[in-house]
Amino acid sequence: MIYLDNAATTPMDPRVTGVLKESIDSDFANSGTVYSIGLDARRKIEQAQEDIARALNIPSTHRIIFTSGGSEANNLFIKGLCFPDKRAACLGLEHPSVREPLNYLESFGNNSLSLLEFQTEGRLDLKGVSMLNENRVRLLCLSHINNELGTVNDPIKISDALKRGSSATRLFMDGVQAVGKLKLDAPLWGELAGYSISAHKCHGPKGIGLLIYDSRLSLEPIVHGGSQQHGVRSGTLPVPLIRAMAEAVKVAVECTDETLEHLRKLNRHLIEGLIDLSSRLDSLSIRFNSLSVDDVARQSPAIVNFSFSPVEGEVLLHHLEEKEIFVGLGSACSAHSKEPSKILTGIGLSEEEARCSLRISFSKTNTVEEVDRFLEEFAQAYEVLFPTFHNKLAER
Amino acid sequence: MTDSRTILIRYDEIGLKGKNRKFFENRLLGNVRKSLGGIGGIRVDKIHGRLLVRVAGLQAEECVRRLSCVPGIASLSVGVLVEPDFDEMAALGIEWILPRLQSNGSLKFCVRTKRSDKRFPSTSTEIDFEVGSRIMKSLAPKGLSVDIAHAEFVLEIEIGPQETMVFDNRTPGLGGLPVGSSGEVLSLLSGGIDSPVSSFMLICRGCRVHSIFFDNRTFLGRGGYDKVTRLARVLNRFQGGGRLYVVPFQDIQVAIRDCCSAPNRVVLYRRMMYRIAGVLAERNRYQGLVTGESLGQVASQTLENLAAVSCVVPMSVFRPLIGIPKQEIIARAKKIETYDISVEPHPDCCSVFMPDHPATRSKIEDLEADEALFPWEKLVEQALTSVEVIDLDRSG
Repeated sequence: MIYLDNAATTPMDPRVTGVLKESIDSDFANSGTVYSIGLDARRKIEQAQEDIARALNIPSTHRIIFTSGGSEANNLFIKGLCFPDKRAACLGLEHPSVREPLNYLESFGNNSLSLLEFQTEGRLDLKGVSMLNENRVRLLCLSHINNELGTVNDPIKISDALKRGSSATRLFMDGVQAVGKLKLDAPLWGELAGYSISAHKCHGPKGIGLLIYDSRLSLEPIVHGGSQQHGVRSGTLPVPLIRAMAEAVKVAVECTDETLEHLRKLNRHLIEGLIDLSSRLDSLSIRFNSLSVDDVARQSPAIVNFSFSPVEGEVLLHHLEEKEIFVGLGSACSAHSKEPSKILTGIGLSEEEARCSLRISFSKTNTVEEVDRFLEEFAQAYEVLFPTFHNKLAER
Repeated sequence: MTDSRTILIRYDEIGLKGKNRKFFENRLLGNVRKSLGGIGGIRVDKIHGRLLVRVAGLQAEECVRRLSCVPGIASLSVGVLVEPDFDEMAALGIEWILPRLQSNGSLKFCVRTKRSDKRFPSTSTEIDFEVGSRIMKSLAPKGLSVDIAHAEFVLEIEIGPQETMVFDNRTPGLGGLPVGSSGEVLSLLSGGIDSPVSSFMLICRGCRVHSIFFDNRTFLGRGGYDKVTRLARVLNRFQGGGRLYVVPFQDIQVAIRDCCSAPNRVVLYRRMMYRIAGVLAERNRYQGLVTGESLGQVASQTLENLAAVSCVVPMSVFRPLIGIPKQEIIARAKKIETYDISVEPHPDCCSVFMPDHPATRSKIEDLEADEALFPWEKLVEQALTSVEVIDLDRSG
């Protein structure tokens, strides 16, 4: 099996699995209880929290809240901060767990602002910042790394622009694709009101994520109950998942340089391979939707998104599946919908081009040989499918 | 009162049979025994044109649940053995009526007695009155009234020479004929809403219905296969065993797509499906095909197109939904619990195979001319050599 859909989820790192297994067997006590085994559980959570803070350089000004994953972290921060009447904005190219909470706020008359007209290369053009001031926007929500394109919004540059052009607007970033793929340094946190992370996107377990936010902000909770985690997110904490996430984050951060180097190699190999294919096959013309640049501040090397009209991406996906090669089709959450990706049409692709696209996303476990196998099978499947789709176009 | 229960099974339609009534009764008896398999300490007897199931009290509810899915049963009642004492009979009636009365606010009821032991000192009418008036005395202030013609709850009493039974309100059964009494058929299951309903209708007419699915997984993925397997399992709840044939269909669809005229494509696909299903049906001695077609619902379901597909098989094609409006089909699908599976988003045909303007009045000579353009006999043979056969058990 060749797995090239790591932006959807990643396989667990054996070190993480080790921690998880050990903890599931031993850490069963409720961390909210006052007897010794409960206190031990609490201590382990605090230790995990410290490990995460150290690995990600999170300062004490920011609070770490455990959630069930990235979607919950995004919901908790956006709704918790903006309900009922603080105005928010997004680019319009974010994951649905950012866009949908904004739509939810709209049902209470709190209309959010879309900055889609200010997108270039899938990221926010800083010219859009003046709009935020004019519209009295209090929160700007962006992806750190776009989940379909891999394009990067630079929080430092955006925050600088906000300070100059819209000082009342704070910045929230969905960072689920970023851990282990971008360096998160101490100065970064000073610019961020909130940031979300999901363990399973960096070789950790599913069902656990983080919201990291400026502790001076007051968040209205979504889950009420036992007042755990400062009352912001009630619920008994899953010690094994938390410890496993801490391990995953630690490993991911320790290897960031090495991983990036490896991802760059895979990325270059794939892009060159696709260019080579399109020069060899008359029928194939590739349009890269992600950027083909070697600059991690603009484009994550982990994601390559490309179109190849007239063959539909979903059909190609199933042909590759027959060969046990698994690739992505837009974001996994919308892969069941027949609608073409909003992110791809948002950056200007036609519906047809959006439908005729695939997302390849790498992790540290992929190899150059796997990319070669993918290229070979992609070319074969494309050649088999092209006449059928070409005839379809000719019929019109 | 004892802890055992007697479930009374009535079967109106079989009761109308003449000399072959015994055949239907025995078939139903066998199906009832099979459906109650695994429940210990059960005795099933055929007495005076109905079936009696004796079971321990705790298992009565599970038995009723299973029996309400057995075709051929018109209705069921759970009976309790009592002393021939009016107070005891009335007490039981009060116990059953009270919860219904409390949730409805009011309830119309009556008592119906059958006295086969004529030595019993009171007549049926007198027993109705004695028990009824005792119940009314207790429950009339809570909203209970007597209505013999429009009773919402009928308390039935049977006084036999050896025992006296009181029966709870009737639970409706599926009606129809017992599975296996009418032979075996093969149903074309697509994964949509209609075909499971048509299969169900034939099951209720005494057929064992096997299913056939035409799988184009190289274009559409495995979602359709997964969906149809689950649908076939739900249908098997009503017939206790059947087969699912999965036929690879991509090569046929590609050949038709690439060789034949676009408007005829859908009818050509269906002619190939019918041919393959026809061969499998003949080989297994199934006595006809079943489809979910409903007149005029889509372009392929006009009178002309239905005739153009039926004529390729030398056997009956049953279309039980032919005159049923879509809304009613949906209501039936919801009732048999196939609807939620059917509406899960998964395409049943890739857009690339669908013509923009399908023919609504295909002519046989045009279809035959199209079929001369690709080796259809060879493709039918090829498909038949790679059929996957899944034997499904009765557990849904």
